[in-house]
Amino acid sequence: MLRLAAAAILWFGLWLPPLRSGLESDMALHMTVQIPLLAVVGILIAPEVRRFEPRWLAEADWLGIPGIVLVLFSTSCWMLPVALDSALGDWRMEVAKFVSLPLLVGMPLGLSWQRMPPLGRLFVIANIISKVGALGGLYLAAPIRLCAYYRLDQQAEAGSALLAVATAAIVGAFLASFFGWSWRRPFRDAWKGHRAVATATDASPSLPT
Amino acid sequence: MSANAGRADRAGVRDGETAARAVELAYIAVVAIVLLLMMLFGLTMRAAQAQYLDVQPRLFYVLLTMHGAGMVGIAGVAGAVVMWHFVRRHVPVNTTVFLANLVLFLIGAVLILGSGFIGGFAGAWTFLYPLPAHSNGIWSANAAAAYMLGLLVIGVGFLLLHLDVLHGIWRTYGSLANGLGLKQAIGLKPEKTGPPPAVPAATMASIVNVLGIVIGAVVLILSLVNLYVPSFTMSALVAKNLIYFFGHVFINATIYMAVIAVYEILPLYAHHPWKTNRIFYLAWVASTVMVLIVYPHHLLMDFAMPPWALVVGQIISYLSGLPVLLVTAFGALTVVHRSGLRWDTPSGLCFLGVLGWAAGVIPAIADGTIVVNSVMHNTQWVPGHFHTYLLLGTVAMFLGYMTWTAKEVPHETIGTEPAAFWLYVGGGIIFVVAFLAAGSASVPRRYAVHLAPWLTYDRIGSLGALLVVLGVGIMVVQFLVRVPALARLPMTAVAQPLPEAAAE
Repeated sequence: MLRLAAAAILWFGLWLPPLRSGLESDMALHMTVQIPLLAVVGILIAPEVRRFEPRWLAEADWLGIPGIVLVLFSTSCWMLPVALDSALGDWRMEVAKFVSLPLLVGMPLGLSWQRMPPLGRLFVIANIISKVGALGGLYLAAPIRLCAYYRLDQQAEAGSALLAVATAAIVGAFLASFFGWSWRRPFRDAWKGHRAVATATDASPSLPT
Repeated sequence: MSANAGRADRAGVRDGETAARAVELAYIAVVAIVLLLMMLFGLTMRAAQAQYLDVQPRLFYVLLTMHGAGMVGIAGVAGAVVMWHFVRRHVPVNTTVFLANLVLFLIGAVLILGSGFIGGFAGAWTFLYPLPAHSNGIWSANAAAAYMLGLLVIGVGFLLLHLDVLHGIWRTYGSLANGLGLKQAIGLKPEKTGPPPAVPAATMASIVNVLGIVIGAVVLILSLVNLYVPSFTMSALVAKNLIYFFGHVFINATIYMAVIAVYEILPLYAHHPWKTNRIFYLAWVASTVMVLIVYPHHLLMDFAMPPWALVVGQIISYLSGLPVLLVTAFGALTVVHRSGLRWDTPSGLCFLGVLGWAAGVIPAIADGTIVVNSVMHNTQWVPGHFHTYLLLGTVAMFLGYMTWTAKEVPHETIGTEPAAFWLYVGGGIIFVVAFLAAGSASVPRRYAVHLAPWLTYDRIGSLGALLVVLGVGIMVVQFLVRVPALARLPMTAVAQPLPEAAAE
């Protein structure tokens, strides 16, 4: 319940005008703070939703691959400049952003991550780091404004911020694996108490050897 | 019931081992064939420079690009099979992932060869931005894109393989630092509790390669966008930094993976284990850091680079390879000294690998000095030094592993082994010395057409290359004819310690 309350507070906090307009007025904050925090809302909801997840859906999410593919496609959509623009210019797209990021990114991530084999998780992390880095590079390289609502200098700042995020992620992932810190722990803790209803598909499976 | 389950478990393990052996043999066969093919490309280029063959410049630069990309890639695959074979004795790794890497490599190789021989891409293996997008009509954007997609596909395969190895090390040792022997290196734990030598080497190579591949993927994607949307431009200097970080790390990791063959095979011959100690672990820890920061020595001629970066490049060049090289060379001498070691082709090749690596580092250090680099970098001195530690280092270590694997199946061609070994060694020395001598005489590198005064070096180099191709060709044929028999052997008999070593 605590997590649901935290998710609700975070979601409404992000929706309320002072924070929403503050974050959306700057492209870098929009991309590196608001969008990831909306995904965090879904991650917080996932363990609570898990109890009601039908068995067929859990089984269909083989090795967590369908869920992670959904996450990758959904995040790719919200990385496009046209998507950012339309969210700022059309209230319906803004609602779609506030609904889709928790439900199509955060929640599937929270549900599918545990089902993925460790190698899959590592590969997804490496893939996301490359993608964020490349996107940052593209925003820096773009000769024209890609978003109607943001200036060229804001676009360049967003590119630098994304590169900084990619760098921080690669350094963090390296340090975590080098010194043996587990990035599964937060997810594992979030799942505590829900083991009783876990199905056989929850067990961390491995690829055929 | 439990007896049945036990039998099923044993059968499962046996099937798993048989599959692993089959994939390993496929790896070795692919490496052997591609290596020979790339050597033939090299021989063709040297013969063209020597005016023995008439090769049009356009084709020459395609061959140059394919030879470079092919050799770097196949050296990576060669290192990967050596690493995987030995490291799986100590940590759990996945055969499916290992196979996926080979399949992805072959797909990438087809794309790259197609980009060159069909699309005419000849932008050198380093695909330096913005050259791929500025071909003057010699190749199309699609050809350059096929080349870059090929690299990306190969990178995905290696990323999966290295992540799998790192995950296995993490599961077994608790962290990558433990796999590297960091606690032993800094005296927090006794030396004897450290991991076996294959594990720090695999840890180091996998750490640096994962970082290199992730960075390489970023610059490849940006270059791909630039091909089709030329208005998307990036700083050429930043792109060069990213490319050389990726390229330097990848090619260096091939040596650090292949050297595992030395750690594992020489002791079997010498009946003397490879002793690890604090210095050994310290060397691997130091090299992990230095391999990641030494790449600016490839940019010493770039005046726009910050001077501090170039100074770091020079200083770390002096130090980077030395820790691991010294502990390996000293360790090899210690293992061999008064061991009564029976020299044959595998043991000779493993020992030669260390020698070639050590010898190649000397001209490399010279070229890593800023004042020397400014006059030597665009001469044949550079291919001279990297061929020394790749041809006589990495490739020798792989050939040592290949011939050691083949040794399990006696064959009538066995009598030709010493001849093949000496053809390879003699030819290799002639070949690299011709490059180094030409470099010291300021003969430029990467020129399709050479002036008359340079031809002596080219002709001697061509002779050396021919001898190398003959020697390696004999070894490759000797291996390939044994593959069916090797595949049929029970796992316990394949590539295990030699009888006398096992008895020991």
